[in-house]
Amino acid sequence: MSFEELEHTADVLMRVRGADLTELFAEAGRAMFHVMYGPCEDRGIERRIEIEAENLESLLIDYLSELLFVTEVENTVFCTFDVDLRGTRLSAHLRGELFDPARHSAGALIKGISYFGLEIVKEEEGYVVEIIFDI
Amino acid sequence: MLTGINKIGDLEWEVPIGYVPEMRVPGRFFLSRELAETLEEGAVRQLANVATLPGIVKHSLAMPDIHWGYGFPIGGVAAFDMTEGVISPGGVGFDINCGVRLITTPLTEADLAGKKREVIERLFAAVPTGVGGKSNLRVSNKDLTAVMVDGARWAVERGLGIEADLVRCEGEGAMPGADPGAVSAKARQRGLPQLGTLGAGNHFLEIQVAREIVDPEAAKTFGIAEGQVCFMVHCGSRGLGHQVATDHLRTLESAAAKYGVRLPDRQLACAPVDSPEGRAYYGGMVSAANYAWANRQVIMHEARKVFAEVFGIEYDEMRLIYDVAHNVAKFERHDVDGVLTEVCVHRKGATRAFGPGVPGIPREYAAVGQPVIIPGSMGTSSYLLHGTKAAMEKTWGSTCHGAGRVLSRSKAKKEVKGRELREQLAGAGILVRAHSDSVLAEEAPDVYKPSGEVVRVVHEAGLSKIVARLDPLGVIKG
Repeated sequence: MSFEELEHTADVLMRVRGADLTELFAEAGRAMFHVMYGPCEDRGIERRIEIEAENLESLLIDYLSELLFVTEVENTVFCTFDVDLRGTRLSAHLRGELFDPARHSAGALIKGISYFGLEIVKEEEGYVVEIIFDI
Repeated sequence: MLTGINKIGDLEWEVPIGYVPEMRVPGRFFLSRELAETLEEGAVRQLANVATLPGIVKHSLAMPDIHWGYGFPIGGVAAFDMTEGVISPGGVGFDINCGVRLITTPLTEADLAGKKREVIERLFAAVPTGVGGKSNLRVSNKDLTAVMVDGARWAVERGLGIEADLVRCEGEGAMPGADPGAVSAKARQRGLPQLGTLGAGNHFLEIQVAREIVDPEAAKTFGIAEGQVCFMVHCGSRGLGHQVATDHLRTLESAAAKYGVRLPDRQLACAPVDSPEGRAYYGGMVSAANYAWANRQVIMHEARKVFAEVFGIEYDEMRLIYDVAHNVAKFERHDVDGVLTEVCVHRKGATRAFGPGVPGIPREYAAVGQPVIIPGSMGTSSYLLHGTKAAMEKTWGSTCHGAGRVLSRSKAKKEVKGRELREQLAGAGILVRAHSDSVLAEEAPDVYKPSGEVVRVVHEAGLSKIVARLDPLGVIKG
């Protein structure tokens, strides 16, 4: 579905929507990489991650935190997120490219994912969550 | 002005118990009428939320650069009882020991003529910056353990600085109580390639000139004179600190429930200071804080080498005035109702401002109080102040940390064009070097509260006193 940046003076606040939870998690990943790097292409870099948590909100935070870790230590930028969600267990197949300072330096370094106000809400047409990224 | 808040002094406001449910103590903050116009209700609510945490002593406080963050407001300060109280990563932030150091050079502005571009380019080449910036050092896992225990001393012992640098750092460049075992393998993996890197966002390495000396006596004590060229380093503990915060937030979230702490905001996840989870966070946070001191030491070393080569000056002619942390929790002894008591002071976007004679500040500065360094935003002035007795009495020896944003990143991008800004600053004699112009737009001077106004408030409220104003000449950004 979509993500959009909302007004927030100190940090970056993103509203993310998905038709279902799987899509919501995929879009949340896309939103975060958009903030960090701007445009990204699939150039054959692949990665798989698996996360388990006790509830959906914690799962979302752990998943995004894991993505932050992977992008930083492996110098990768991801653009597609195939998410498989079973209860509060997630596996994601990520595709993208290697970090290129010439093309990926327009974004903001994210330090962490805030718990503040993070709540996955079911709406008529799917799910929505607002996430504060500390920059 | 928001409702439900009481003005209790010229620049002092109180958030009464009851502003949010279950407050244990009132909130207090310092703000001028001008700055109050931009005060967000969310920031006051966060200040009030902190007042609900167990063991909070006296007040939940905020400095005049208060703004809406997560957990504590930015600019938040709170002290907790060592037995009844809690420790919270939400009171420190993700960038553990983000801080600032200020170094003088024997140069004047005239010495920079014709060489400013060269020195900026060479600094940009010498100090890795931005997303993906990797260290020039080879750091082993064993080295990293030593960095987390010894802080700035680790760098000095390897020739990346001089012994005299250490006494001129808050806590001599390392906090006791590091527990590298509380730092995960992931945090280590992030920290290994980043020692000596600036990072991104509002972090910078800036060349400045001491444009105005406000307090000549204190300036003399600190070793700074009008017209003197200085440089300032603003950065923190990089990915290692971010990961320590992320990891411990997670464990403290379940710990809060275990210890029966009701959280008005999950980001205030905490545990008793004296609990296994609380001690683990403290030990991990101290390790990250020490990494940050080593990080700033290494960056200063690289910058000194560049200045020495470009201007033919000696390495040790560049004197570190001081290094301060503005995102940290510390065990300190303060006067609580007439009794010197150890408390756990959280400063999230606030700077320690110990007054004259307080133990823990360099002997050479004892008569004046510790130096306090307030970085400006890009293109605006930075300030050197000194700590005061009033800060010891009112704010656990704390003051502001910077300007505080007023314009969101998305608005800034719409309203400011990075390239135009770079040209505009160059026109004003300030050279800017960054990996991309869009980074500049997000950090443009207009997105921050005027640093001069924030500093004026702490000066007039007596929380610290202005010694000198430093104007930017050139800056490298992430």
